[in-house]
Amino acid sequence: MMKIRLSRGMIDVLSGAASIGCFLLLWLALTRHTGLGELIPGPDVVLAALFKGLFGKVGRHGILVHAGYSLARVLAGFAIGGAAGVVIGLSMGWSRFAEAVFQPLYRVVRPIPPIAWIPISIIWFGLGESAKVFLIFLASFANVTLNAWSGARDADRQLIGAARMLGANQRQIFLTIVLPSAVPQIFAGLQVAMSNSWATVLAAEMVRSSEGLGWMIVTGMSNNDIVQILSGIVAIGVVGFVLSVAMRKAEALLCRWNHGGR
Amino acid sequence: MSLEPRRPVEHVIECENIGKSFPAPGGGRREVVRGITLRARENEFLALFGPGQCGKTTLINLIAGLDSVTSGRVLVNGETVREPGPERGVVFQSTAIFPWLTTMGNVEYGPRMAGMGRAERRRKAQRYIDLVGLRGFENAFPVQLSGGMKQRVGIARVYCNEPRVMLMDEPFGALDAQTRYLMQEELRRVWEAEKRTVVFVTNNIEEAIYLADRIVVLSNCPATIKREYAIDLPRPRNYVSPEFLGLRKEITSIMDSTL
Repeated sequence: MMKIRLSRGMIDVLSGAASIGCFLLLWLALTRHTGLGELIPGPDVVLAALFKGLFGKVGRHGILVHAGYSLARVLAGFAIGGAAGVVIGLSMGWSRFAEAVFQPLYRVVRPIPPIAWIPISIIWFGLGESAKVFLIFLASFANVTLNAWSGARDADRQLIGAARMLGANQRQIFLTIVLPSAVPQIFAGLQVAMSNSWATVLAAEMVRSSEGLGWMIVTGMSNNDIVQILSGIVAIGVVGFVLSVAMRKAEALLCRWNHGGR
Repeated sequence: MSLEPRRPVEHVIECENIGKSFPAPGGGRREVVRGITLRARENEFLALFGPGQCGKTTLINLIAGLDSVTSGRVLVNGETVREPGPERGVVFQSTAIFPWLTTMGNVEYGPRMAGMGRAERRRKAQRYIDLVGLRGFENAFPVQLSGGMKQRVGIARVYCNEPRVMLMDEPFGALDAQTRYLMQEELRRVWEAEKRTVVFVTNNIEEAIYLADRIVVLSNCPATIKREYAIDLPRPRNYVSPEFLGLRKEITSIMDSTL
Protein backbone atom coordinates (compact mmCIF):
# COMPACT_ATOMS: atom_id res chain seq x y z
CA MET A 1 0.00 0.00 0.00
CA MET A 2 1.27 3.41 -0.86
CA LYS A 3 1.11 5.97 1.83
CA ILE A 4 1.19 9.66 1.08
CA ARG A 5 2.27 11.76 3.98
CA LEU A 6 0.69 15.17 4.10
CA SER A 7 1.56 17.95 6.49
CA ARG A 8 -1.11 19.15 8.90
CA GLY A 9 -1.39 22.45 7.01
CA MET A 10 -1.84 20.68 3.65
CA ILE A 11 -4.63 18.53 5.08
CA ASP A 12 -6.38 21.64 6.41
CA VAL A 13 -6.15 23.40 3.04
CA LEU A 14 -7.30 20.35 1.10
CA SER A 15 -10.27 19.63 3.31
CA GLY A 16 -11.29 23.30 3.20
CA ALA A 17 -11.10 23.28 -0.61
CA ALA A 18 -13.05 20.02 -0.73
CA SER A 19 -15.86 21.42 1.41
CA ILE A 20 -16.16 24.55 -0.74
CA GLY A 21 -16.08 22.36 -3.87
CA CYS A 22 -18.87 20.15 -2.51
CA PHE A 23 -20.95 23.19 -1.65
CA LEU A 24 -20.56 24.57 -5.18
CA LEU A 25 -21.42 21.20 -6.73
CA LEU A 26 -24.51 20.87 -4.56
CA TRP A 27 -25.55 24.41 -5.50
CA LEU A 28 -24.98 23.63 -9.16
CA ALA A 29 -26.94 20.36 -9.02
CA LEU A 30 -29.85 21.96 -7.18
CA THR A 31 -30.16 24.87 -9.62
CA ARG A 32 -29.88 22.59 -12.67
CA HIS A 33 -32.20 19.83 -11.61
CA THR A 34 -34.74 21.29 -9.17
CA GLY A 35 -37.11 24.23 -8.96
CA LEU A 36 -34.41 26.21 -7.10
CA GLY A 37 -33.03 27.20 -10.50
CA GLU A 38 -35.94 29.59 -10.96
CA LEU A 39 -35.10 31.42 -7.73
CA ILE A 40 -31.33 31.79 -7.96
CA PRO A 41 -28.76 31.37 -10.72
CA GLY A 42 -26.17 28.61 -10.51
CA PRO A 43 -22.64 29.11 -9.20
CA ASP A 44 -21.27 29.02 -12.75
CA VAL A 45 -23.34 32.09 -13.67
CA VAL A 46 -22.42 33.94 -10.46
CA LEU A 47 -18.70 33.17 -10.74
CA ALA A 48 -18.72 34.19 -14.40
CA ALA A 49 -20.39 37.50 -13.46
CA LEU A 50 -17.87 37.98 -10.65
CA PHE A 51 -14.99 37.29 -13.01
CA LYS A 52 -16.43 39.68 -15.58
CA GLY A 53 -16.91 42.32 -12.90
CA LEU A 54 -13.25 42.05 -11.89
CA PHE A 55 -12.16 43.30 -15.30
CA GLY A 56 -15.28 45.02 -16.57
CA LYS A 57 -17.59 47.35 -14.67
CA VAL A 58 -20.51 47.07 -12.29
CA GLY A 59 -22.09 50.50 -12.36
CA ARG A 60 -19.22 53.00 -12.57
CA HIS A 61 -16.39 50.77 -11.29
CA GLY A 62 -15.00 47.26 -11.40
CA ILE A 63 -15.61 44.96 -8.42
CA LEU A 64 -12.05 45.45 -7.17
CA VAL A 65 -12.61 49.20 -7.01
CA HIS A 66 -15.91 48.70 -5.17
CA ALA A 67 -14.17 46.41 -2.71
CA GLY A 68 -11.38 48.99 -2.42
CA TYR A 69 -13.87 51.72 -1.49
CA SER A 70 -15.45 49.55 1.19
CA LEU A 71 -12.05 48.48 2.51
CA ALA A 72 -10.70 52.03 2.64
CA ARG A 73 -13.71 53.14 4.68
CA VAL A 74 -13.28 50.19 7.03
CA LEU A 75 -9.58 50.75 7.52
CA ALA A 76 -9.97 54.48 8.19
CA GLY A 77 -12.73 54.01 10.78
CA PHE A 78 -11.06 50.92 12.25
CA ALA A 79 -7.72 52.67 12.68
CA ILE A 80 -9.30 55.62 14.51
CA GLY A 81 -11.68 53.45 16.55
CA GLY A 82 -9.00 50.90 17.40
CA ALA A 83 -6.48 53.55 18.47
CA ALA A 84 -9.06 55.40 20.58
CA GLY A 85 -10.25 52.12 22.08
CA VAL A 86 -6.73 51.04 23.04
CA VAL A 87 -5.91 54.40 24.62
CA ILE A 88 -9.15 54.78 26.54
CA GLY A 89 -9.39 51.10 27.49
CA LEU A 90 -5.81 50.96 28.78
CA SER A 91 -6.25 54.17 30.74
CA MET A 92 -9.41 52.76 32.30
CA GLY A 93 -7.57 49.58 33.26
CA TRP A 94 -4.57 51.42 34.67
CA SER A 95 -6.10 54.37 36.47
CA ARG A 96 -9.02 54.21 38.88
CA PHE A 97 -9.80 57.82 38.04
CA ALA A 98 -10.07 57.22 34.28
CA GLU A 99 -12.21 54.18 35.00
CA ALA A 100 -14.58 56.23 37.15
CA VAL A 101 -14.82 58.93 34.49
CA PHE A 102 -15.31 56.78 31.39
CA GLN A 103 -17.14 53.74 32.69
CA PRO A 104 -20.71 55.14 33.02
CA LEU A 105 -20.60 56.77 29.60
CA TYR A 106 -19.12 53.66 28.08
CA ARG A 107 -21.74 51.40 29.64
CA VAL A 108 -24.54 53.45 28.08
CA VAL A 109 -23.00 53.87 24.62
CA ARG A 110 -21.74 50.30 24.16
CA PRO A 111 -25.09 48.47 23.76
CA ILE A 112 -26.23 50.80 20.95
CA PRO A 113 -25.62 48.97 17.67
CA PRO A 114 -23.63 51.05 15.16
CA ILE A 115 -26.39 50.96 12.53
CA ALA A 116 -28.66 52.84 14.97
CA TRP A 117 -26.34 55.81 14.40
CA ILE A 118 -26.83 55.85 10.62
CA PRO A 119 -29.56 58.53 10.54
CA ILE A 120 -27.72 60.82 12.94
CA SER A 121 -24.41 60.32 11.15
CA ILE A 122 -26.06 61.45 7.91
CA ILE A 123 -27.51 64.51 9.65
CA TRP A 124 -24.14 65.35 11.22
CA PHE A 125 -21.76 64.46 8.44
CA GLY A 126 -23.88 64.49 5.29
CA LEU A 127 -23.65 61.78 2.68
CA GLY A 128 -19.87 61.76 2.20
CA GLU A 129 -17.13 59.57 3.52
CA SER A 130 -16.98 61.01 7.03
CA ALA A 131 -20.44 59.66 7.93
CA LYS A 132 -19.31 56.13 7.04
CA VAL A 133 -15.97 56.45 8.77
CA PHE A 134 -17.78 57.73 11.86
CA LEU A 135 -20.05 54.67 11.87
CA ILE A 136 -17.13 52.28 11.54
CA PHE A 137 -15.32 54.16 14.29
CA LEU A 138 -18.31 53.43 16.52
CA ALA A 139 -18.44 49.81 15.40
CA SER A 140 -14.79 49.16 16.26
CA PHE A 141 -14.34 51.40 19.28
CA ALA A 142 -16.52 49.56 21.79
CA ASN A 143 -15.01 46.08 21.58
CA VAL A 144 -11.43 47.29 21.58
CA THR A 145 -12.07 49.51 24.59
CA LEU A 146 -13.66 46.69 26.56
CA ASN A 147 -10.82 44.28 25.85
CA ALA A 148 -8.01 46.76 26.44
CA TRP A 149 -9.70 47.73 29.69
CA SER A 150 -10.05 44.21 31.05
CA GLY A 151 -6.62 43.25 29.68
CA ALA A 152 -4.93 46.06 31.60
CA ARG A 153 -7.03 45.57 34.71
CA ASP A 154 -6.31 41.85 34.87
CA ALA A 155 -2.53 42.21 34.52
CA ASP A 156 -0.94 39.64 36.85
CA ARG A 157 -0.30 41.25 40.28
CA GLN A 158 2.65 38.97 40.86
CA LEU A 159 4.33 40.03 37.63
CA ILE A 160 3.84 43.66 38.64
CA GLY A 161 5.39 42.79 42.02
CA ALA A 162 8.30 41.10 40.22
CA ALA A 163 8.85 44.20 38.08
CA ARG A 164 8.85 46.43 41.17
CA MET A 165 11.38 44.24 42.93
CA LEU A 166 13.58 44.48 39.84
CA GLY A 167 13.47 48.27 40.11
CA ALA A 168 10.82 49.30 37.56
CA ASN A 169 8.99 52.59 38.21
CA GLN A 170 5.28 53.17 37.54
CA ARG A 171 5.75 54.28 33.93
CA GLN A 172 8.01 51.30 33.20
CA ILE A 173 5.53 48.93 34.82
CA PHE A 174 2.81 50.24 32.54
CA LEU A 175 4.93 49.98 29.40
CA THR A 176 6.68 46.68 30.11
CA ILE A 177 4.08 44.73 32.11
CA VAL A 178 0.54 46.08 31.80
CA LEU A 179 0.69 46.85 28.07
CA PRO A 180 2.17 43.54 26.88
CA SER A 181 -0.10 41.50 29.13
CA ALA A 182 -3.10 43.28 27.57
CA VAL A 183 -1.98 42.66 23.97
CA PRO A 184 -3.65 39.24 23.46
CA GLN A 185 -6.96 40.59 24.74
CA ILE A 186 -6.61 43.75 22.66
CA PHE A 187 -6.11 41.58 19.61
CA ALA A 188 -9.19 39.53 20.38
CA GLY A 189 -11.08 42.84 20.57
CA LEU A 190 -9.58 44.06 17.30
CA GLN A 191 -10.71 40.87 15.58
CA VAL A 192 -14.31 41.31 16.68
CA ALA A 193 -14.08 45.01 15.84
CA MET A 194 -12.86 44.19 12.34
CA SER A 195 -15.79 41.93 11.58
CA ASN A 196 -18.20 44.46 13.11
CA SER A 197 -16.69 47.18 10.96
CA TRP A 198 -17.03 45.10 7.84
CA ALA A 199 -20.70 44.45 8.61
CA THR A 200 -21.28 48.13 9.37
CA VAL A 201 -19.69 49.50 6.20
CA LEU A 202 -22.02 47.36 4.11
CA ALA A 203 -25.06 48.58 6.03
CA ALA A 204 -23.91 52.17 5.64
CA GLU A 205 -23.32 51.73 1.92
CA MET A 206 -26.69 50.12 1.48
CA VAL A 207 -28.36 53.11 3.08
CA ARG A 208 -26.62 55.72 1.01
CA SER A 209 -23.61 55.63 -1.32
CA SER A 210 -22.68 55.49 -4.99
CA GLU A 211 -19.94 52.84 -4.79
CA GLY A 212 -18.75 49.95 -2.61
CA LEU A 213 -19.83 46.34 -2.19
CA GLY A 214 -22.87 47.37 -0.14
CA TRP A 215 -23.93 49.65 -3.00
CA MET A 216 -23.48 46.73 -5.41
CA ILE A 217 -25.93 44.45 -3.67
CA VAL A 218 -28.48 47.15 -2.94
CA THR A 219 -28.55 48.33 -6.61
CA GLY A 220 -28.78 44.66 -7.59
CA MET A 221 -31.93 44.58 -5.53
CA SER A 222 -33.41 47.74 -7.12
CA ASN A 223 -32.66 46.41 -10.63
CA ASN A 224 -33.87 42.93 -9.74
CA ASP A 225 -30.40 41.67 -10.77
CA ILE A 226 -29.93 38.63 -8.60
CA VAL A 227 -26.61 37.74 -10.25
CA GLN A 228 -25.17 41.11 -9.18
CA ILE A 229 -26.47 40.60 -5.63
CA LEU A 230 -24.91 37.17 -5.40
CA SER A 231 -21.58 38.19 -6.89
CA GLY A 232 -21.53 41.08 -4.41
CA ILE A 233 -22.19 38.67 -1.54
CA VAL A 234 -19.42 36.34 -2.68
CA ALA A 235 -17.03 39.31 -2.92
CA ILE A 236 -18.04 40.39 0.61
CA GLY A 237 -17.31 36.88 1.88
CA VAL A 238 -13.91 36.75 0.20
CA VAL A 239 -12.81 40.15 1.49
CA GLY A 240 -14.05 39.32 5.00
CA PHE A 241 -12.11 36.08 4.90
CA VAL A 242 -8.93 37.83 3.80
CA LEU A 243 -9.33 40.41 6.58
CA SER A 244 -9.73 37.78 9.28
CA VAL A 245 -6.70 35.84 8.02
CA ALA A 246 -4.64 39.04 8.04
CA MET A 247 -5.72 39.78 11.62
CA ARG A 248 -4.80 36.28 12.73
CA LYS A 249 -1.38 36.52 11.12
CA ALA A 250 -0.71 39.85 12.81
CA GLU A 251 -1.78 38.37 16.13
CA ALA A 252 0.41 35.31 15.72
CA LEU A 253 3.36 37.58 15.00
CA LEU A 254 2.82 39.96 17.93
CA CYS A 255 1.80 37.34 20.49
CA ARG A 256 4.43 34.76 19.62
CA TRP A 257 5.19 34.33 23.33
CA ASN A 258 1.61 33.20 23.92
CA HIS A 259 1.62 30.36 21.43
CA GLY A 260 3.99 27.69 22.63
CA GLY A 261 6.27 26.30 19.93
CA ARG A 262 3.83 27.06 17.14
CA MET B 1 27.19 21.95 63.97
CA SER B 2 26.36 23.94 67.04
CA LEU B 3 23.06 24.80 68.61
CA GLU B 4 24.33 28.20 69.71
CA PRO B 5 23.38 30.88 67.16
CA ARG B 6 26.36 32.96 66.17
CA ARG B 7 26.54 36.61 67.05
CA PRO B 8 27.50 38.22 63.74
CA VAL B 9 28.94 41.67 63.64
CA GLU B 10 27.28 43.08 60.55
CA HIS B 11 23.71 42.33 59.53
CA VAL B 12 22.42 42.85 56.02
CA ILE B 13 18.93 41.83 57.07
CA GLU B 14 17.41 42.66 60.43
CA CYS B 15 13.87 41.68 61.31
CA GLU B 16 13.00 43.19 64.69
CA ASN B 17 10.14 41.50 66.44
CA ILE B 18 7.93 41.53 63.36
CA GLY B 19 4.31 40.46 63.25
CA LYS B 20 1.75 40.25 60.50
CA SER B 21 -1.96 39.61 60.54
CA PHE B 22 -4.58 39.70 57.82
CA PRO B 23 -8.28 40.44 58.06
CA ALA B 24 -9.97 37.05 58.44
CA PRO B 25 -12.90 36.09 56.20
CA GLY B 26 -15.29 35.73 59.14
CA GLY B 27 -14.28 39.04 60.76
CA GLY B 28 -11.42 39.58 63.19
CA ARG B 29 -7.82 39.03 62.15
CA ARG B 30 -5.72 36.03 61.38
CA GLU B 31 -2.19 36.17 62.73
CA VAL B 32 0.36 34.56 60.41
CA VAL B 33 3.70 35.88 61.73
CA ARG B 34 4.37 36.53 65.40
CA GLY B 35 7.32 38.19 67.08
CA ILE B 36 10.06 37.08 64.71
CA THR B 37 13.52 38.49 65.24
CA LEU B 38 15.96 37.44 62.57
CA ARG B 39 19.34 38.64 61.37
CA ALA B 40 21.41 37.66 58.38
CA ARG B 41 25.11 38.37 57.84
CA GLU B 42 26.62 39.46 54.56
CA ASN B 43 26.75 36.47 52.16
CA GLU B 44 25.06 34.17 54.59
CA PHE B 45 22.79 31.47 53.21
CA LEU B 46 19.86 31.34 55.58
CA ALA B 47 17.12 28.74 55.24
CA LEU B 48 13.69 29.22 56.77
CA PHE B 49 12.34 25.75 57.31
CA GLY B 50 8.83 24.98 58.43
CA PRO B 51 5.87 22.80 57.67
CA GLY B 52 2.54 23.81 56.25
CA GLN B 53 1.30 26.74 54.25
CA CYS B 54 1.39 29.44 56.83
CA GLY B 55 3.75 32.33 57.43
CA LYS B 56 6.90 31.55 55.44
CA THR B 57 5.90 33.21 52.19
CA THR B 58 4.51 36.13 54.16
CA LEU B 59 7.86 36.51 55.89
CA ILE B 60 9.62 36.67 52.51
CA ASN B 61 7.08 39.20 51.25
CA LEU B 62 7.66 41.35 54.33
CA ILE B 63 11.42 41.41 53.80
CA ALA B 64 10.88 42.05 50.08
CA GLY B 65 8.51 44.93 50.81
CA LEU B 66 5.75 43.27 48.76
CA ASP B 67 3.72 43.31 51.98
CA SER B 68 3.94 45.53 55.05
CA VAL B 69 4.44 44.51 58.67
CA THR B 70 1.68 44.89 61.24
CA SER B 71 4.21 45.31 64.04
CA GLY B 72 7.99 45.53 64.39
CA ARG B 73 10.23 46.54 61.52
CA VAL B 74 12.41 45.15 58.77
CA LEU B 75 15.77 46.69 57.95
CA VAL B 76 17.92 45.85 54.95
CA ASN B 77 21.34 47.49 54.87
CA GLY B 78 20.19 49.44 57.90
CA GLU B 79 17.23 51.01 56.09
CA THR B 80 13.60 50.34 56.87
CA VAL B 81 11.87 48.38 54.13
CA ARG B 82 8.73 50.12 52.81
CA GLU B 83 8.33 48.90 49.25
CA PRO B 84 9.97 46.46 46.83
CA GLY B 85 13.34 47.53 45.50
CA PRO B 86 16.19 46.28 43.34
CA GLU B 87 18.50 45.65 46.31
CA ARG B 88 16.13 42.87 47.40
CA GLY B 89 15.67 40.30 44.63
CA VAL B 90 12.91 37.73 44.92
CA VAL B 91 12.78 34.30 43.32
CA PHE B 92 9.14 33.24 43.39
CA GLN B 93 7.83 29.71 43.66
CA SER B 94 5.59 30.43 40.67
CA THR B 95 8.71 31.86 38.91
CA ALA B 96 6.79 35.04 37.91
CA ILE B 97 9.07 35.44 34.92
CA PHE B 98 7.64 37.64 32.17
CA PRO B 99 5.97 35.41 29.55
CA TRP B 100 6.31 37.95 26.71
CA LEU B 101 10.05 38.29 27.16
CA THR B 102 12.68 35.79 26.07
CA THR B 103 15.24 34.36 28.48
CA MET B 104 17.53 37.25 27.56
CA GLY B 105 14.69 39.76 27.92
CA ASN B 106 13.88 38.48 31.40
CA VAL B 107 17.46 38.37 32.64
CA GLU B 108 18.35 41.83 31.33
CA TYR B 109 15.10 43.36 32.63
CA GLY B 110 16.48 44.86 35.85
CA PRO B 111 19.51 46.55 34.23
CA ARG B 112 17.29 47.73 31.35
CA MET B 113 14.91 49.42 33.79
CA ALA B 114 17.91 51.01 35.48
CA GLY B 115 18.88 52.51 32.11
CA MET B 116 22.00 50.44 31.38
CA GLY B 117 23.04 50.50 27.70
CA ARG B 118 22.09 47.59 25.49
CA ALA B 119 25.52 46.15 24.78
CA GLU B 120 26.63 46.33 28.39
CA ARG B 121 23.48 44.78 29.85
CA ARG B 122 23.44 42.04 27.21
CA ARG B 123 26.99 41.11 28.14
CA LYS B 124 26.07 41.06 31.78
CA ALA B 125 22.89 39.06 31.24
CA GLN B 126 24.79 36.57 29.10
CA ARG B 127 27.16 35.95 31.98
CA TYR B 128 24.32 34.97 34.29
CA ILE B 129 22.52 32.98 31.60
CA ASP B 130 25.73 30.99 31.21
CA LEU B 131 26.11 30.72 34.98
CA VAL B 132 22.70 29.05 35.40
CA GLY B 133 23.32 26.79 32.40
CA LEU B 134 20.87 28.30 29.92
CA ARG B 135 23.30 29.05 27.09
CA GLY B 136 21.54 28.32 23.81
CA PHE B 137 18.12 29.28 25.21
CA GLU B 138 18.62 33.07 25.12
CA ASN B 139 15.86 33.58 22.56
CA ALA B 140 13.37 31.06 23.92
CA PHE B 141 10.12 32.29 25.41
CA PRO B 142 9.15 30.92 28.85
CA VAL B 143 6.34 28.85 27.34
CA GLN B 144 9.00 26.86 25.50
CA LEU B 145 10.98 26.10 28.68
CA SER B 146 10.54 23.37 31.27
CA GLY B 147 9.74 24.15 34.91
CA GLY B 148 13.36 23.83 36.01
CA MET B 149 14.57 26.04 33.18
CA LYS B 150 12.02 28.71 34.02
CA GLN B 151 13.25 28.76 37.58
CA ARG B 152 16.83 29.12 36.30
CA VAL B 153 15.64 32.18 34.40
CA GLY B 154 14.10 33.47 37.64
CA ILE B 155 17.39 32.99 39.46
CA ALA B 156 19.50 34.53 36.68
CA ARG B 157 17.09 37.49 36.47
CA VAL B 158 17.59 38.27 40.13
CA TYR B 159 21.35 37.66 40.04
CA CYS B 160 21.76 39.96 37.04
CA ASN B 161 20.17 42.80 38.99
CA GLU B 162 22.90 42.47 41.64
CA PRO B 163 20.75 42.72 44.75
CA ARG B 164 22.33 42.84 48.20
CA VAL B 165 19.86 40.23 49.31
CA MET B 166 18.21 37.33 47.50
CA LEU B 167 14.89 36.11 48.82
CA MET B 168 13.87 32.70 47.54
CA ASP B 169 10.37 31.51 48.24
CA GLU B 170 10.26 27.72 47.81
CA PRO B 171 11.82 28.16 44.38
CA PHE B 172 11.95 24.42 43.73
CA GLY B 173 8.61 23.56 45.35
CA ALA B 174 6.83 23.00 42.05
CA LEU B 175 9.52 20.77 40.52
CA ASP B 176 9.69 16.99 40.39
CA ALA B 177 12.12 15.27 42.77
CA GLN B 178 14.80 14.63 40.13
CA THR B 179 14.83 18.20 38.84
CA ARG B 180 14.75 19.44 42.40
CA TYR B 181 18.02 17.67 43.28
CA LEU B 182 19.57 19.01 40.13
CA MET B 183 18.47 22.55 40.91
CA GLN B 184 19.74 22.35 44.49
CA GLU B 185 23.13 21.36 43.16
CA GLU B 186 23.01 24.14 40.56
CA LEU B 187 22.03 26.76 43.11
CA ARG B 188 24.87 25.70 45.40
CA ARG B 189 27.31 26.00 42.50
CA VAL B 190 25.97 29.40 41.41
CA TRP B 191 25.94 30.73 44.96
CA GLU B 192 29.49 29.56 45.61
CA ALA B 193 30.61 31.17 42.36
CA GLU B 194 28.96 34.47 43.34
CA LYS B 195 28.03 34.71 46.96
CA ARG B 196 25.01 36.70 48.06
CA THR B 197 23.00 37.01 51.22
CA VAL B 198 20.19 34.53 50.70
CA VAL B 199 17.00 33.87 52.60
CA PHE B 200 15.66 30.59 51.31
CA VAL B 201 12.21 29.34 52.29
CA THR B 202 11.58 25.62 52.07
CA ASN B 203 9.49 22.84 53.52
CA ASN B 204 12.08 20.28 52.48
CA ILE B 205 14.62 19.57 55.23
CA GLU B 206 17.19 17.93 52.92
CA GLU B 207 17.20 21.01 50.74
CA ALA B 208 17.72 23.24 53.77
CA ILE B 209 20.63 21.16 55.13
CA TYR B 210 22.20 20.82 51.70
CA LEU B 211 22.22 24.54 50.98
CA ALA B 212 22.20 26.62 54.12
CA ASP B 213 24.78 28.06 56.52
CA ARG B 214 22.05 28.34 59.07
CA ILE B 215 18.55 26.91 59.36
CA VAL B 216 15.81 28.74 61.20
CA VAL B 217 13.02 26.35 62.10
CA LEU B 218 9.60 27.98 62.15
CA SER B 219 6.41 26.84 63.78
CA ASN B 220 3.18 26.75 61.86
CA CYS B 221 0.53 29.44 62.06
CA PRO B 222 1.41 31.91 63.34
CA ALA B 223 5.05 31.49 62.34
CA THR B 224 7.40 31.89 65.27
CA ILE B 225 11.04 30.88 65.58
CA LYS B 226 11.38 27.51 67.26
CA ARG B 227 15.05 26.81 66.89
CA GLU B 228 18.15 27.71 64.91
CA TYR B 229 20.85 25.41 63.59
CA ALA B 230 24.20 26.45 62.21
CA ILE B 231 25.37 24.00 59.57
CA ASP B 232 29.15 23.76 59.48
CA LEU B 233 29.49 20.89 57.03
CA PRO B 234 31.82 21.52 54.09
CA ARG B 235 30.25 21.96 50.63
CA PRO B 236 29.25 20.21 48.47
CA ARG B 237 27.43 18.24 51.11
CA ASN B 238 26.69 14.57 50.98
CA TYR B 239 23.00 13.79 51.42
CA VAL B 240 23.79 10.44 53.04
CA SER B 241 26.76 11.30 55.27
CA PRO B 242 26.23 10.49 58.97
CA GLU B 243 26.38 14.18 59.92
CA PHE B 244 23.78 15.07 57.31
CA LEU B 245 21.44 12.29 58.34
CA GLY B 246 21.95 13.07 62.04
CA LEU B 247 20.95 16.69 61.52
CA ARG B 248 18.02 15.66 59.44
CA LYS B 249 16.80 13.30 62.12
CA GLU B 250 17.23 15.88 64.84
CA ILE B 251 15.39 18.65 63.02
CA THR B 252 12.62 16.33 61.87
CA SER B 253 12.13 15.08 65.41
CA ILE B 254 11.60 18.53 66.86
CA MET B 255 9.05 19.20 64.11
CA ASP B 256 7.20 15.98 64.92
CA SER B 257 7.12 16.71 68.63
CA THR B 258 5.30 19.96 68.12
CA LEU B 259 2.79 19.08 65.47
